[in-house]
Amino acid sequence: MAKMYTLSNGKVVTEPGNKSIIYLVIVLAITSFFMLFIPIDWKAINFRNAGFILGQLFTPTSGQTYRDYFAFIVSTPVLNALLETIRLSFGGTLIGALASVPLAVLSARNIVKKPWIYQTARAIMNFIRTIPMFVIAVVAIFFLGYGILPGIAAIAIFTFGIMTKMVYETIETIDMGPVEALDACGANKVKAVGYAVFPQVLPIYLGYFIYCFEINVRSSVILGFIGAGGIGIILYNNVGYRYDRVGGVILLLFVVVVFIQSITRYVRGKLQ
Amino acid sequence: MIKFINVDKIYPNGFQALKNINLEINDGEFVAIIGLSGAGKSTLLRAINKMHPISKGEVYVNGQEVSKLEGESLRMMRRNIGMIFQSFNLVKRSSVFKNVLAGRVAYHSTFKTLLGLFPLRDKKIALEALDKMGILEKAYVRADQLSGGQQQRVALARALAQEPNIILADEPVASLDPVTTLSVMDDFARINKDYKITIVANMHHVDLALKYAHRIVGIKNGEIIFDGPVSAVTESKLIEIYGRKLTSDDILGE
Repeated sequence: MAKMYTLSNGKVVTEPGNKSIIYLVIVLAITSFFMLFIPIDWKAINFRNAGFILGQLFTPTSGQTYRDYFAFIVSTPVLNALLETIRLSFGGTLIGALASVPLAVLSARNIVKKPWIYQTARAIMNFIRTIPMFVIAVVAIFFLGYGILPGIAAIAIFTFGIMTKMVYETIETIDMGPVEALDACGANKVKAVGYAVFPQVLPIYLGYFIYCFEINVRSSVILGFIGAGGIGIILYNNVGYRYDRVGGVILLLFVVVVFIQSITRYVRGKLQ
Repeated sequence: MIKFINVDKIYPNGFQALKNINLEINDGEFVAIIGLSGAGKSTLLRAINKMHPISKGEVYVNGQEVSKLEGESLRMMRRNIGMIFQSFNLVKRSSVFKNVLAGRVAYHSTFKTLLGLFPLRDKKIALEALDKMGILEKAYVRADQLSGGQQQRVALARALAQEPNIILADEPVASLDPVTTLSVMDDFARINKDYKITIVANMHHVDLALKYAHRIVGIKNGEIIFDGPVSAVTESKLIEIYGRKLTSDDILGE
């Protein structure tokens, strides 16, 4: 397996063995474990149904025109619900993103040298990340009542988890030179973080913020299904009944997400 | 005054970086520490402000025993010692002014510094430090827009803004081109002369050390094997310090 080269001066160089075949076998084994034994009921599969519903989503229902189809999308209740979705997503993202900063700093191994601190911080983060947003929302409704408030709480906690993880990983990649310089100036830990860490992390942090906002606009739709506010309620009321309206709401969300992404691009460009 | 008494430094991996160092540096001196890479120059320099704690012995700075200082008292000691690094260690995304103002953080509360609430006096100190380095007009430019020599001047301004009585420089010109190197070394000489600031610099290039410093400390395998004025340095001493004849790598040339 291992190749050997004899140089003209008699020295022998041994090339390290190639392990890629072993890795290929491992990858194939893992893949087949997950993919090969999925039970499939061939009788239940009906691609016609899929095509039928897809057609329903983006065409007016019988007896209506495209004028009616788009009139629904821009009707006041739909736009109000959309506004509610954007508001609760933004509010929740903002709260979660701000709250994530201290925990992210405490989770970063290059800033906090004591293992028990960053391990505790990461344990808290991982626990929060394990709870599905849906469950957080159900619990939040239980003590905050129905409406936009439990939605904000659910998104804030969800965002807190992912932002903490992304931000601490970013902190661990920064240039430590400025931190050393601040230490040498006699700065304490908090000052060093404020002057040497935050400026380096800030543009990436803002990028993550907008990314989370965009994810949250889409994923918060599920919150409407359980009464935690937003446009999900309109989807909930029309799924299985008026697929044209479901399709209309999906188109609307698509436009919003594209819009947020164009803002992201603009802001990223400005921050370079 | 800086004073080392029987200082040893052993790293956790067992490597002994400093062996029985005894050294006294008086106020206002310009001392160059020379030696091969890995000889212990950096460790010696960083023992002064406890960026690397020592294993044995005592280090005194301005009468205080550095190895005993911790927390707030350590930070109070450090704010009187400027430090210059090979790679400048500026926050590249921040403005030059903000980088220099960072030299003032140890003088104010955490709350105020994080909000950027510096008294007018401190802002003037920072701007004056930039003026002393001849780059006042760059104050509101981002640090990464500057050339290497200018960035090292910003780092010097940050050190000056601390109003220090000692500046430690760890290979301050090693990432600069030869022409810029000479002008930055001129800056060090000027700071030493005009503001009576003690300068201790690790230098790789022997000719630069001889040209700018008053006193040379030669270090080999963690031990001081030469300590004397520039005039006492001889070719054979240098060969002893470097363990070989000097090569073109050890000399900047002009």
